[in-house]
Amino acid sequence: MEANQTAVLIVLIVITIDAVLLASLIILKGIHRRRMLGHEKRRAGYMTLLAHHLTYPDSTEPIGRKTAEDPAFLDAVIDLRNAVAGPEIDTLARIIGRYGMAGAQARRLRSRFPLGRRLRAAVALAEMGDESSAESLMEFLGDREPEVRIQCARGLGRMRWTPAIDAIVDRFNVETPWVRSRFTSTLVGFGPKATWPLIAYIRVNHRFESAGPSAAIRALGVIGDTQAGPPLIEILEEAKDPEIQIAAIEALGAVGGPLALKTLIREFDSDDWRLRAKAATAIGDIGDPLAIPTLAAGLEDTDWWVRRNSAAALTRLPGGQWALYDALASKDRYAQDAAAEALADAGELIAARSREKSGTATARDQALLSHMTPEYSMTGS
Amino acid sequence: MMLEIIRWVGYGTIAYFAVMQAYLIFLAVVSGTVLRRNHHMSRFGRVSEMLSSNMAPPVSIVIPAYNEAMGIVESVRSMSIVGYPRFEMVVVNDGSTDETLERLIEAFELERVQIPYRPDLETAPIRGIYRGRGTVDITVIDKENAGRADALNAGINVARYPYALCTDADVILDAGCLVNAMQRIVEDREHVVAVGGNIRPLNGSTVELGHLVKASVPKKLVPRMQVLEYVRTFLASRPAWARMGALPLISGAFGVWKRSAVLAVGGFTSGHMGEDMDLTMRMHRYHIDNEIPYRIVYEGAAVIWTEVPENLRVLRRQRIRWHRGLMMAVRDFMPMTFNPRYGSVGMVTWAGMFLFEYLAPIIEFIGWFVVPIAWAVGALDTTAMVMLLAIAFGMGLMNSLVALMLDESYGYFNSAADTSRLVTMAMIENFGFRQITVFWRIRALFGGRKVQGWGNMERRGVANLGARGA
Repeated sequence: MEANQTAVLIVLIVITIDAVLLASLIILKGIHRRRMLGHEKRRAGYMTLLAHHLTYPDSTEPIGRKTAEDPAFLDAVIDLRNAVAGPEIDTLARIIGRYGMAGAQARRLRSRFPLGRRLRAAVALAEMGDESSAESLMEFLGDREPEVRIQCARGLGRMRWTPAIDAIVDRFNVETPWVRSRFTSTLVGFGPKATWPLIAYIRVNHRFESAGPSAAIRALGVIGDTQAGPPLIEILEEAKDPEIQIAAIEALGAVGGPLALKTLIREFDSDDWRLRAKAATAIGDIGDPLAIPTLAAGLEDTDWWVRRNSAAALTRLPGGQWALYDALASKDRYAQDAAAEALADAGELIAARSREKSGTATARDQALLSHMTPEYSMTGS
Repeated sequence: MMLEIIRWVGYGTIAYFAVMQAYLIFLAVVSGTVLRRNHHMSRFGRVSEMLSSNMAPPVSIVIPAYNEAMGIVESVRSMSIVGYPRFEMVVVNDGSTDETLERLIEAFELERVQIPYRPDLETAPIRGIYRGRGTVDITVIDKENAGRADALNAGINVARYPYALCTDADVILDAGCLVNAMQRIVEDREHVVAVGGNIRPLNGSTVELGHLVKASVPKKLVPRMQVLEYVRTFLASRPAWARMGALPLISGAFGVWKRSAVLAVGGFTSGHMGEDMDLTMRMHRYHIDNEIPYRIVYEGAAVIWTEVPENLRVLRRQRIRWHRGLMMAVRDFMPMTFNPRYGSVGMVTWAGMFLFEYLAPIIEFIGWFVVPIAWAVGALDTTAMVMLLAIAFGMGLMNSLVALMLDESYGYFNSAADTSRLVTMAMIENFGFRQITVFWRIRALFGGRKVQGWGNMERRGVANLGARGA
């Protein structure tokens, strides 16, 4: 082939590819626009239709199998499922069941569709929360795709399918930290029913690894079941890993109770400043004024974070602010700073200024105001 | 003999163009697969649910500011409703000579406070630290002027949280931007040390109360050309580099950094003209040298809008500065180039940076100016000339069209008019604009290694973008 012919050929190839790409771009744009507008329009129409069925459960207004297979109808069902409550959920569940919508999504999940479609099916099942799909969701808790596994767990959590609790907790050891943390959020949805499976898992595993058990401990904190208090104290006392200790302290703060408070006050003697700082915040979460002397002592701690958290916790305790005002006269300059900062953050500074302007400032106001205009120094411990 | 040399220089240039465009198209195709997967995840993954729980790591938003009095308050306000469960704002006033600090004090009820300043990273002297008493959790550091990198280091010193979002005072964060970026960290908290975002030009779009209401392609040619460039860079190259584990640059306008990793490498380099690229590359080098597993990732759904230059004068300044930054980085990390020890960073990305960014202006200069002359004097035949044009224009257009197709999935430019404007740009950019940028980059080669503080970008400010822009 001559050089000229080669050049022409190259030019032709390049022009052809460009033309194909340009045509594809135009077609893609058109499809996107049409799909988007059409989808939204149909979805709005289906919302009206479904609203009619929810208002009149015995309505004979036809929905039609074709309509039920439309992705826009699925979106409308999901939107309504998240918006309604009580008997309307049952009506919606009947519609989902009558047209086999959950079954259709389960089949999609089982198929070899690309990730986008399988993920969409998993999300739809999770959102519909139809109990007929529980078995499929249980089956796909071990799917190869992490997001599909997460959505399955979420769906089971939404329908509070208790047999799934053990299955989800069992996967903690094989999941990545990300999936595990999402599973943990799901377990929170089960409420106190998940407490003992989680405690059993933590007891077995906390000596060998930290990520899974600390996620489980945090879930216990979010669930807030008081039954978790004693086991958490036991775990805190046994644990050597700071990550687990910190998670247990946070969870105890959320669970609360006199035993938890006593344990947290004891943590103030820890050599590890991180535990002391976390304990201060957790005591603030419990909100019991019995802890005021402990937190007031925390203002004079050697670590800035402990002082700061103790001061912040005091602002949340009934009567805690008086301890902070007292600390403004402390001999410890850092305790004064921590107290003044916390008082200012709690809005006391603005109130003191306003009282000063109106000539009604008290001695405490004066103490706070005088502390907030010091010679500035860039130092700290 | 002379004609023979010119002929071979001509053929060499054509081969260079072909390899460069093939490399870019390869990146665009890989990027397509990455973005498709990420798109599904951000669409169906419902990550926001998890991030609204207490599992989301808290973030410090670090905003360096120099003479930003015009729009700083609106910017901070706009960022303060970014939609993330736990974050603080750290604004660093880098010795502004205007009223930046005063405006902040007034707007956010700032009080000078005594909190410990731990200079983990060395910075210019700090004059004062202020905390907001209002609804926004804001800390303002007032320091002596020493440039953007120094200001960022001061912000990182004061940041309380384990992750720092380093951004600019004149950007608009898209809704869900931080959530999407943090999603990548939450997914692999152990290894991810940095996340880059998708930066898009704001010019021409409609902004109300510091928020983007409608994205449009600007009417002016200069910013419109940059829209195409940004789409190509952020959608057709970076996802592929990140997929290979070799992202060479997390742009200064948006980068979430693991604070401990930034401290480990010594923070941003003061005075560096490409401090963002420098830090990204030092992150790679540090982790590879110390055999620490790590990931630097890119998230296309973390979208940030920024103003780009509206005229050639400002654009020239910006491009010269960028190229000088690149030159500094290429020289600093030369031992990594083509070094198999650094894996895909050394062999693909940094080699690509060296060949197709650092050397590009010189070779393209030859391509655009020497080859036509060679053809005119008969040293190069018409066939070679046609091939050069076909490869340079045709393959370049191919790359742009693939990038525009990838952009479709984001759906920012809904109107057909916007897309046709960008396609037209893709067709005409090779007739003048590209040659001008080559010339600017050639100029950058002769600028020396001057220490640079803040780039002089003429901006209207977020607050003044109320109506349709350029």
